[in-house]
Amino acid sequence: MSGVGALRSVGLRTAPTTRGLRRWLLRPEAPAAVFLVVLLAAFSLAADRFLTPDNLESILVQVAVLGIIALAVNQVILAGEIDISVGSMLGLCAVAVGTVATATGGLLAPLAAGVATGVLAGAVNGLLVTLGRIPSIIVTLGMLYALRGVILLVTGGTWITQIPDETRVLGLAKLAGVSLPVFVMFALFLIVNAVSRNSTWGRDVFAVGGNRRAARLAGLAIDRTRLLAFALVGAFVGIAATIYVGRAGSVQTNAGEGLELQVIAAVVIGGTSIAGGRGSALAPVIGAVLIGVILNGMILVGVPGVWQSAVLGALILLAVTTDALRRRLVGGAA
Amino acid sequence: MSAIEASAQSRVEHRAAAAVHPPIFRLAGVTKRFGGVTAVEAVDFDLRRGEVHAQVGENGAGKSTLVKLVGGLYVPDEGRVEVGGEVVQFSSPRDSEAAGIAMIPQELDLFLELSAAENLFVGRRRPRRPWGALDWRQMEARAREQLGALGVEFDVEAPVERLSMANRQIMLIAKALMGDAAAVVMDEPTSSLTEREAARLFRIIDELTARGVGVVYISHRLGEVFMVADRITVLRDGQHVRTAPASELDSEEVVRLMVGRSLDELFSRGGHEAGDVALEVRGLTRTGEFEDIDLTVRHGEVVGIAGLIGAGRTELAQTIFGVRAAERGEVLVDGEPVELDSPAAAMEAGIGYVPEERQSQGLVLPFTIAANISLSILGRLSRLGFVASQRERETADGFAEQLAIRGARVSEPVSRLSGGNQQKVVLAKSLAGGPQVLLLDEPTRGVDVGAKSEIYRLIDRLASEGRAIVLISSELEEVLSMADRVLVMREGRVSAELSREEATQERVIAAATGVAVGEDEGAEGAAPAASVDTER
Repeated sequence: MSGVGALRSVGLRTAPTTRGLRRWLLRPEAPAAVFLVVLLAAFSLAADRFLTPDNLESILVQVAVLGIIALAVNQVILAGEIDISVGSMLGLCAVAVGTVATATGGLLAPLAAGVATGVLAGAVNGLLVTLGRIPSIIVTLGMLYALRGVILLVTGGTWITQIPDETRVLGLAKLAGVSLPVFVMFALFLIVNAVSRNSTWGRDVFAVGGNRRAARLAGLAIDRTRLLAFALVGAFVGIAATIYVGRAGSVQTNAGEGLELQVIAAVVIGGTSIAGGRGSALAPVIGAVLIGVILNGMILVGVPGVWQSAVLGALILLAVTTDALRRRLVGGAA
Repeated sequence: MSAIEASAQSRVEHRAAAAVHPPIFRLAGVTKRFGGVTAVEAVDFDLRRGEVHAQVGENGAGKSTLVKLVGGLYVPDEGRVEVGGEVVQFSSPRDSEAAGIAMIPQELDLFLELSAAENLFVGRRRPRRPWGALDWRQMEARAREQLGALGVEFDVEAPVERLSMANRQIMLIAKALMGDAAAVVMDEPTSSLTEREAARLFRIIDELTARGVGVVYISHRLGEVFMVADRITVLRDGQHVRTAPASELDSEEVVRLMVGRSLDELFSRGGHEAGDVALEVRGLTRTGEFEDIDLTVRHGEVVGIAGLIGAGRTELAQTIFGVRAAERGEVLVDGEPVELDSPAAAMEAGIGYVPEERQSQGLVLPFTIAANISLSILGRLSRLGFVASQRERETADGFAEQLAIRGARVSEPVSRLSGGNQQKVVLAKSLAGGPQVLLLDEPTRGVDVGAKSEIYRLIDRLASEGRAIVLISSELEEVLSMADRVLVMREGRVSAELSREEATQERVIAAATGVAVGEDEGAEGAAPAASVDTER
């Protein structure tokens, strides 16, 4: 059962009958969602400061960059490909944002520069994968290094500082008491969710990832579908970079290092199959929030920081094992 | 051919000697079922020292299942496998190899990047130098020696991917003999060999049998079978039909035994008036797959394409549909040339294709039934890039009703349906685009009898509505009862074109295998078979 398997008749709005509940539990992000609720309860009991509006909001702000990028990478993974270049891509977009911001100020020009840079890099990924017929893991691994190299060449290794306040709005400002990064993340989620469920491209992404041969024999534009997914990653990285620069107030040459693996972790933990074709737009958001909750909760409960990596790793293994077991139990879906 | 004729002569001499020894292995009353399907039932088969025992039968007669039972890939549900008079239980190919049975599969299992010498020593103790390093020189020397014993010589240091198919096959035989195989099982060994290479293979088979090695020889090519075989076993629908010395049979008799039953017709189409030419294929070629194919199908006509697996039928259909790139030739629909570069272009031109593998090529299994049906026409069902779900559901419901898709609602995953109903979904998907020309590749493979006759009725209806239909099928009865005209393909070429009246099982098999049967004149390949027959 996948997001599209559940396309019309199932959804969050299903009446809470047992049948509806059963179907909901079969949704790809269900285990992560259940686990998230359990964790929230456990941390609330263990640490007084955990379940406060301020703390919960700060968790969401912290995972906004991760969540936004994971939303787009999720589409790439659903289409049966992968993108591990987003760490360096975020760095490069941040350099573009920072450079334009210090030159012109304002918000729109730096944002546009970041998005344009991202789309360009994403399009290169997509073209090499589709026209070049090179496996995406190789292409994006190459880009991971190449883009980091470009950052160093462009900046000469120096930081970009003194980002003007009006550019930092997207990272720092609040609207009706909620930080803008959180707003942006949820707005983008709503858009991607609608597109993923109801648009032809969204459907093609699942089809290409679910059975590429059948999709090809059905005449789908496999290359265009995948190219768009890679370009979408670039656009979302550009937006995320503007938030990132806003929050940091400066751009370091190592910005975004290691982010690519966290993004994939968020997607997989959330319940999208790394093999493609199964998953949902909600999965990366839940995955990102889950990561944020664990990191935050561990600190509040007083677990030493050295445990972070071990816990995250265990979480990923747990997620993929759950997915494999569930698919075997549900059966039918080979 | 004279060398082979001579060898057939010499074979007669050691056949007498072979009879006195106990069989190398024996299958006694073996039955193998897969789910509800019985692949072979109560079949007896044995192999004696120094003989060539051929297995013949139509596609699906159970030959490869038998081979896998001998090779340790399957365990029989009933009956026993005996080696040297003792009952054995093979649980893996390794067991069968240890018992002295070597398999030469149709698809050769080789490590293409490794050299011939390395391949020969895979899974075997490799010679080493005193300090533990591999002794390459000795490995290569032994490889050369082994090949020399078979009378062949080639570069054993070069990667196997540079060797011809014939040399790769000989390598596997050499490998089998290194393990002191008492029996060698060859599955369609000549399917990718030239005539000269085949002659060399027959000479090697001769040397093997002279040493007392037994050979199981599986081939569709009856001419060859009569050249090499001492005994022939005919299988049909998983049943043992007859085992007899080759000298007591002729190819006409063997074909009759292979076909067997009379036509029990699930469905028979009445006569139809065909309209104008809908699909025209001219000189379509993909070297190595099919060559110079001409094909004309009229509106309202069903043209069957018969042939053996590997004759190039699927490749032809996929090329017409733009999946594979054509080297030469053109395709016209209603007189208009079709761009042969993508399935999308073919569909645009009014061609629909139902692929032979339902699950791997036809369906997106995690999708709902509705999403599968609308896969190709989503653009038409959407506005501004968003799917009009109401229209999608109506379309899907319409097809589900027309094609009697039963077992689940269209909003449920397609994986919940039975094989026959899944196949109807694949058909619906191809029909959704409203094609005038339909290429059906094994449309009833693996579906139950009920769904089968429903699919036949559907094909009949589609034809009477004026669609041009190409029906590729390995089931002879299906082709004969459904098609207005039958094209037979053999080794990438059209070997016969038969009208509904001319098309009989015997004629189609003759054209598909290259063996002349009965009073049919003209099928090529008849001469060698006949000459061997008269010799005996």
